[in-house]
Amino acid sequence: MELLRPSSVAELDGGVLVHGGTEVVPLLREGLLTADRLVDVRGVVPRGIRDGVVGAGTTLAELEAEPAIPEALREACRLAASPQLRNMGSLGGNLLQATRCWYWRLGYSCRLHGGDRCHARDGEHREHAIFANGFCASAHPSDVAAALVALGARVRTNRRELTIEELYRLPDESDRSTTTLEDGELLLEVELPTVAASVYLKAMDRKRWSFPQVGVAAARHADGSTRLALAGVAPIPWRIEGVEALDEATPLPRTEWKVPLAQALVRRALASLE
Amino acid sequence: MARLIRTEKEVEGRFEEVWIVVEEDPLEQWPEGPLEVVGRPAPRKDGAERVRGEARYTADIRLPGMLHAAVLRSPHAHAKVRRIDFAQALTLPGVRAAVGSGEAHGLEEEAGFAGAPVAAVAADTFAQAQAAVEAIDVEWEELEVVLDADEAVRRELLTEEPRRRERGDVDRAFAEADVVVEATYRTQTVLHNSLETHQAVCEWQGDTLHVYISTQYIWGIRQAVAETLGLPEDKVRVVCEFMGGGFGSKNGPDEYTFVAAELAKRTGRPVRCALTRREENTSAGNRNSTIQRLRAGARSDGTIVALEGEFTNALGWSGWNASTEGPMRMLYDCENVRTVTYGAKVNTPPMKAFRAPGFVEGTFGLECLIDELAARLDVDPLQLRRRNYASSNEGTPFSSKNLEDCYRRAEPHWERRHEVRGRSDTVWKRGVGMASQIWYGGGGPPSYAWVRLGSDGRATVITAMQDIGTGTRTAMAQIAAEELGLPLEHVDVVLGDSARGPYASISAGSSTTPSMGPAVRAAAADAREQVEDIAEQRGLPKGTPLEEIVAVLEESQILGKGARGPNPTGMSVLTFGVHVVEVAVDVETGEVVVERVAAIHDVGRIINPLGASSQVEGGVIQGIGHTLSEERLLDPETGRVLTTSLDAYRMPTIADVPEIVCEFVDRPDEHLTNLGSKGLGEPPIVPIAAAIANAIRDATGADVHELPISREEMLRALREAEARAREKEKRGAPAAV
Repeated sequence: MELLRPSSVAELDGGVLVHGGTEVVPLLREGLLTADRLVDVRGVVPRGIRDGVVGAGTTLAELEAEPAIPEALREACRLAASPQLRNMGSLGGNLLQATRCWYWRLGYSCRLHGGDRCHARDGEHREHAIFANGFCASAHPSDVAAALVALGARVRTNRRELTIEELYRLPDESDRSTTTLEDGELLLEVELPTVAASVYLKAMDRKRWSFPQVGVAAARHADGSTRLALAGVAPIPWRIEGVEALDEATPLPRTEWKVPLAQALVRRALASLE
Repeated sequence: MARLIRTEKEVEGRFEEVWIVVEEDPLEQWPEGPLEVVGRPAPRKDGAERVRGEARYTADIRLPGMLHAAVLRSPHAHAKVRRIDFAQALTLPGVRAAVGSGEAHGLEEEAGFAGAPVAAVAADTFAQAQAAVEAIDVEWEELEVVLDADEAVRRELLTEEPRRRERGDVDRAFAEADVVVEATYRTQTVLHNSLETHQAVCEWQGDTLHVYISTQYIWGIRQAVAETLGLPEDKVRVVCEFMGGGFGSKNGPDEYTFVAAELAKRTGRPVRCALTRREENTSAGNRNSTIQRLRAGARSDGTIVALEGEFTNALGWSGWNASTEGPMRMLYDCENVRTVTYGAKVNTPPMKAFRAPGFVEGTFGLECLIDELAARLDVDPLQLRRRNYASSNEGTPFSSKNLEDCYRRAEPHWERRHEVRGRSDTVWKRGVGMASQIWYGGGGPPSYAWVRLGSDGRATVITAMQDIGTGTRTAMAQIAAEELGLPLEHVDVVLGDSARGPYASISAGSSTTPSMGPAVRAAAADAREQVEDIAEQRGLPKGTPLEEIVAVLEESQILGKGARGPNPTGMSVLTFGVHVVEVAVDVETGEVVVERVAAIHDVGRIINPLGASSQVEGGVIQGIGHTLSEERLLDPETGRVLTTSLDAYRMPTIADVPEIVCEFVDRPDEHLTNLGSKGLGEPPIVPIAAAIANAIRDATGADVHELPISREEMLRALREAEARAREKEKRGAPAAV
């Protein structure tokens, strides 16, 4: 395997991109990713925070400590992973991380891997999705993504600008990916609008170092509107209009418990913005 | 003077009748209470070595020319190897040798669980060995898979005959009881996940096999390896100087030891066979899941008159049927008790002993049931436990039992419940619960130690025992220092090598201190008596410091020899304790937070109060993981383990650790050895799950019946409690019957 360290976007030419390595390295080790060429993009992706624009190479540890960052995002960073992982993991990498679905992680030939069934739906799915889980029941693990959806963030890549919601797509029969990124497309920056108030609440199965069972991000925007987004409830970050939306959830037998949990957290999040 | 006796030997609650040679134990016990060194907190003698990274664990062993082995494991929960072909694998770079079933003990043609070892390869690097394992061509014949324990019991797929025990007239007692409660409890499969995975490095030097292994039982490995390979025991040397945890899972050699030994023989090179973390989660043993259908009958005054339990241990492909019924039979004074225990043989990874096997699971069921009974009777749970205090172990007297002292010490912690409940609000409900503990922990003979004393006034304790991380080195040094009248810094301990010291006990069943401590004290006493002899010959006055007496020795040495004496005959040696736990439950989100644990234990004399507290804290923390977050999950279709990594298998983090208050009765068992000390490794994990569950009931009124108490289980129990309350309101029934 060769390791490349380009210093500009122009030098990018294929290979598996890696930043902090907290996701890519384990995936390589497990054989879920294969790479002849590994491309360390730390010299390419901007890092740091200025005027509401965050370099995608900024670490979660840097974000959680920055007072200028909205509370929902800071809290999402603080409650993610462990200090060691937050010191290495980048914002961009966090947004692009794969599901924790054990079937996917163990390489079962599931729909996300191009197969023809969702093993979790018929099998062990107690940590899985309550929305949009008909094709693939995986739950999106990123706290940070939910926070950015609630904040209404915009994303700049080396090819285009898009909303954070446009970065994600539900997998379907013809395309199994959960993001809209194309080959060779690289996240560069995230733009955060100024919000009046924001919050992130997270249910975990232990106090720290746990992916969200349910994460709820809420933000009150300058125009008075409120945006809500959930982590851990659908194959991608899931935006809802209000707590009533949870009445429309389609939980699996062993994910029903997530519905009242999400309802409670949404109510609390909204109340804390009052 | 040695004599041959027939005695009952107990390890982990398993008994067998054996002949053993024991030596008398003529020493008087020390007086109760802290002495000069024993009974006073001592930091670990090897603490600095460990934190500096200087301690050499099995995982650190790198012998010159060492090869690495990787193991091929069955992807199927039940299958037979129809054909296996190593040809391709053997051509890969770095590959030196391969073994299949019949060539190394533990590699089997029939795989009874996904993860069962089938074949192995040795190569220059571990990556090369792994690549070669993937290139082994296997044709499988898939066989019928049974995963459900109840189904296995129905079909009589059992590891052994069901164990039935009955005393008194249970049916009549239930018929005459004023109140009967019954419930079904389920406990999950949990994994040891020791920091150091299971592993061995084997090297042949001439006809002697050197085995470096992460083990809880150096001499058991020596015996089992010798027997399996047909070697004289003295041709097997076993080394384990530092160990990264075992918790019951490293009591014997497994396939990795025999794979390393055989591949080392074939290649003429040392071979390391170490399980990966993934393998540790699929193939290294577990605490089996249980189903417990329990019933208790009582008179309205709170006297328990009948207990009945049907216990199913879902053991996996192999394992032993631990005494899940033990607490029901032993904890309370009840004349009428009936239990049946099934060991279900299912196509899942085999159980291995895990810190108080059986009793952890059985105490959860029994002690939750006792609190449900207390609620039904409207009796204080502590009072109910006292009212049914057992004064003997099914007729056999206890060597010592100070559970009442534990209860008395628990009172101030228990009293806090009014204040704790008062701190509840609409979301967070707080409450206090308790549970009692009973377990073994008496240790036994044989075990030996030597003490070497030179003219510098320093002593070395030599015994081929292992310190599995519990701080045994320090405790043994304290005992020798006390007996010799030396400062602790002047006593060293040499252990961890069967070629460097006499036979020593297994470190399992809370037996290390009670087995080894008396032998070390006896050896030190033997040395001390020799010193006193010299003093007398030199005409030195009594009380002359030891250093001064031995100063004349020059190259001469004093060698003391000690052995563990017998256990008291006709007595039950058991440990006791009680935990009082405070919890907070978020009734909207199902979050359970353990806020405070008071752990009070009666294990005889405490050698090192600091080490003892560490043991209790470790047991409580491991127990909190068992109670709240840990669970090994299987794919219900294939029987494969899904939680194969430490992010999927959720052990508690340091943020989950509550305030832990440790108290010890610290009274020597006057019938037990020259120390009066029992073991403490297991007791602290026994009562914690039930105490947490009972605190949850106190806080919320919800009955949890399943471990782990995940948010799912907590929310289910809360919904059920709400429905019950609504029903009661509708009927206008009084709050308590």
